[in-house]
Amino acid sequence: MRVITIANQNGKTFEVNSKRPILESLHDQGVDLPFGCKYGGCITCAAKLISGKVDQNRQVALNNRQISNGYIILCVARPLTDITIEVGVESHDQLYRNPFLDPLKPHELKADIATLEKE
Amino acid sequence: MECCGPGYSSPLEAIKAPREKLLYTISIYTGTGIQKPDYLATIDVDPKSETFSQVIHRLEMPGIGDELHHMGWNACSSCFDDGSMSRKYLLLPGVRSNNIHIVDTATDPRAPSLYKVIDGADIKSKTNLSGPHTVHCLGSEIIISMLGDAKGEAPGGYLHLNKDFEIQGRWENSMGNIKFGYDFWYQPRHNIMVSSEWAAPNTFMPGFDLEEVGHLKYGREIHFWDFEKREPIETMYLGEDGLLPLEVKFHHNPDSSHGFCGAALSTNVIHWWKDKDEKWQWEKIIDVENEPHPEWPLPVPGVMSAILISMDDKYLYLNNWLHGDMRQYDISDPHNPKLTGQVWMGGLLGKAPLVNGVKVAGGPQMFQLSLDGKRLYVTTSLFSTWDNQFYPEIREQGGVMVMIDCDPINGGMSLNKDFIVDFGNEPNGPSRCHEARYPGGDCTSDIWL
Repeated sequence: MRVITIANQNGKTFEVNSKRPILESLHDQGVDLPFGCKYGGCITCAAKLISGKVDQNRQVALNNRQISNGYIILCVARPLTDITIEVGVESHDQLYRNPFLDPLKPHELKADIATLEKE
Repeated sequence: MECCGPGYSSPLEAIKAPREKLLYTISIYTGTGIQKPDYLATIDVDPKSETFSQVIHRLEMPGIGDELHHMGWNACSSCFDDGSMSRKYLLLPGVRSNNIHIVDTATDPRAPSLYKVIDGADIKSKTNLSGPHTVHCLGSEIIISMLGDAKGEAPGGYLHLNKDFEIQGRWENSMGNIKFGYDFWYQPRHNIMVSSEWAAPNTFMPGFDLEEVGHLKYGREIHFWDFEKREPIETMYLGEDGLLPLEVKFHHNPDSSHGFCGAALSTNVIHWWKDKDEKWQWEKIIDVENEPHPEWPLPVPGVMSAILISMDDKYLYLNNWLHGDMRQYDISDPHNPKLTGQVWMGGLLGKAPLVNGVKVAGGPQMFQLSLDGKRLYVTTSLFSTWDNQFYPEIREQGGVMVMIDCDPINGGMSLNKDFIVDFGNEPNGPSRCHEARYPGGDCTSDIWL
């Protein structure tokens, strides 16, 4: 079991099974969060990881900039430790970016096309 | 011609249909932060009615997070001779959930009701497809372009439903070398279907990364299909002139081989036709220049996300979602279009921030033309994640629908001062309206056999 703390819902905590996706576990405990595709492809359920670690190898929606800004995809992410997250659109301040005003560097693209960051 | 099937015997008959009194548009909460289902809104467009220009009914979908987008009819003029068919059901696919909602619009046209839901998981398990987009009926059958496989990877394929909305499997016999799917239109007298390319759901759903265009994650080809054999026969590589070729439309005249595609990022109109040697040819006929913006390092592309052909095949309408203008071109000579009308509404260039007293978030995006060609209804939201990138203020302001009066004789267009539907004032909070359709058929649904 792991403990999930939702920072922007008065720090409420939930005990969850570490083998199940976080979205599913929270939903079962009455936390109503946005979601779309449920397979890690569409970003609707993105949340921000404040502390702790997750396994989100199955997600394909986030680019490396979003990952380095702490975003996780709740429909596929599983907690590896106790974690603290921010949920919903309040956590999306860095999720969306005008692609013309703020382009990505090659290492910030999605994992399948990103190049390694040059030293 | 007397008959008892749906639609009209010809495009010319469709033009003579009575004026539309109701209009349906989908409206979304997906991606807005409001935990409510997307819904189908009924708009009163009868100027004699007390509720003219208002949402008079809302049909909520059973789940949250579908992202309703495009929609289509169960039957159209392609069934005109089939008395057993009627245009009763509107199909509303959820791009993200994969669910396809079948809505009964005939029992009470003002208050449509949910008839059936085709479960998205069922579609995935039976066909390995996801990301439903364009719906067309083919006689009494229905096909839907699906932009991805069950895991959201391209190219996807085509979902085949029968008239009872049962999954028949994949429509196509082969996807050939097609890399992506998006829109399609068919012209049976030439035994041809044309399809276009957006991207894999896993690419476009999270939002738009410009760099992914260069990495060939977005399309730049259109495809010609042997319609009866259900397989692609020829690909047109459009290159830089055809980045993100989205909407494809044939002339409504079923004998014509001319058709058009709007390349969204290149902001060009591509025209195709069959030459005297029976070969398919293409050319670029409209090129909207990028515009400078004080805060942008690069000029702003128009982003032509939709095109529409008037029922008489005389005018082509297009949008520039980022610039903020709607345009009307006379395409009587499809090789030489002439700009005949332009209206500004919203957009990033600041030319028309207010329309009929409402501050517009977004730019002109989807539109539907009346059958007589006189009224163009335009909405402002593109896709939730893309809206959030380019027009973040749409979260608080919601979408709008405006009406543009069009002159089908001499050309020209102007904003109607009496009509605006502000989806910022919806009861559950600001929502975003998108594609619109009329109960009696419209300019983007019917195909003649």
